[in-house]
Amino acid sequence: MAIGYYFAVSALLFSIGLVGVMVRRNAIVLFMCIELMLNAVNLTLAAAARMWGGPDGQVFVFFVIVVAAAEVVVGLALIVNLYFRRGTIDVDVPQLLRY
Amino acid sequence: MLLLAQAAEAAAGPNTAEIVLFWVFAVLALGAALAVITMRNIVHGALMLVLNLLAIAGLYLTLESSFLGVIQILVYAGAIVVLFLFVVMILGVDRDDLLLAGRGRNQIAAVLGGVLLASALLFAFVGPYTGPPSVCGSDAPIEVGSGQQRCVGLADQLAEDDGSGAAFLGERMFTRYTYAFELSALLLTVATIGAVILARRKDLEIEDLDQEPDGGGVPGPDGLGPHDHDPLAAIGADLAGQDHDPADVVDTDPDDQTPTDEREG
Repeated sequence: MAIGYYFAVSALLFSIGLVGVMVRRNAIVLFMCIELMLNAVNLTLAAAARMWGGPDGQVFVFFVIVVAAAEVVVGLALIVNLYFRRGTIDVDVPQLLRY
Repeated sequence: MLLLAQAAEAAAGPNTAEIVLFWVFAVLALGAALAVITMRNIVHGALMLVLNLLAIAGLYLTLESSFLGVIQILVYAGAIVVLFLFVVMILGVDRDDLLLAGRGRNQIAAVLGGVLLASALLFAFVGPYTGPPSVCGSDAPIEVGSGQQRCVGLADQLAEDDGSGAAFLGERMFTRYTYAFELSALLLTVATIGAVILARRKDLEIEDLDQEPDGGGVPGPDGLGPHDHDPLAAIGADLAGQDHDPADVVDTDPDDQTPTDEREG
């Protein structure tokens, strides 16, 4: 199996996640789409690690997963706070991030 | 999955299993990703995200990275998506709204941008790696032309330990990347403390919601804002009744509240 097929799946996943970030307006769905993009990058790293025959790419995947977990924790806490303050998590509401 | 792999391996050459599993998991991952960004119900979207993450874990398995597959299932499907579902259910935002919000030109531009990015990535990043030198596994070519990087594969390294890849990964992580590992531990601690501080709503009183000039009542374009206001005030009253003594509730000097709001906002 040529490694390029994994790269192709990863590129398509990243693009789908990007379209989701641009199209959707719900902040929780935006975070899900960011998770999609992070997973696409992880897939690329794992495929490249296999291609080069070393563990470094897998170590990077591990760290990306750690950072994604931390990001989700803080981001969801922010979303909960925004919802309780504003009554909406629509990211297109004017002045959502002002104040 | 293992049965599928064994069946495929029995049916044809040893490399057929990887090809079959790759296509199954790739189609699953892409379809689930499309479902995530198109589902109107957020809970359904989160479940589709689980499916996508499981499919990517399967792709890790076909990439001989079984430890990463296990970590992916544990951390993503087991922790992160559960956190998403918790927040969705706490906020009660499983209404089918906020999808394709009536700005058709922006949506078309977003999809066009995604297609452009996908084609650029496929052209520049995928094309050079579909030739014979990049084939890993049992049918990998022994010799490739000069200037071409042969796919090494992980079989040799994985044969040295128990085959799971954990020792293979951990040895490098705890030698060369020890510093990054310690930093990630610090990052997790900071994120936990930050989440606890953000989730603490001691200063959110009833007045805090009612006195904001245009705060909680910002009406969404589709009228989301105002009708969410009353249940929130009820929640705030409930919390104030439970967690604060009466003196604390009565003592709501706006001058005291304002700097706190500025900082936390």
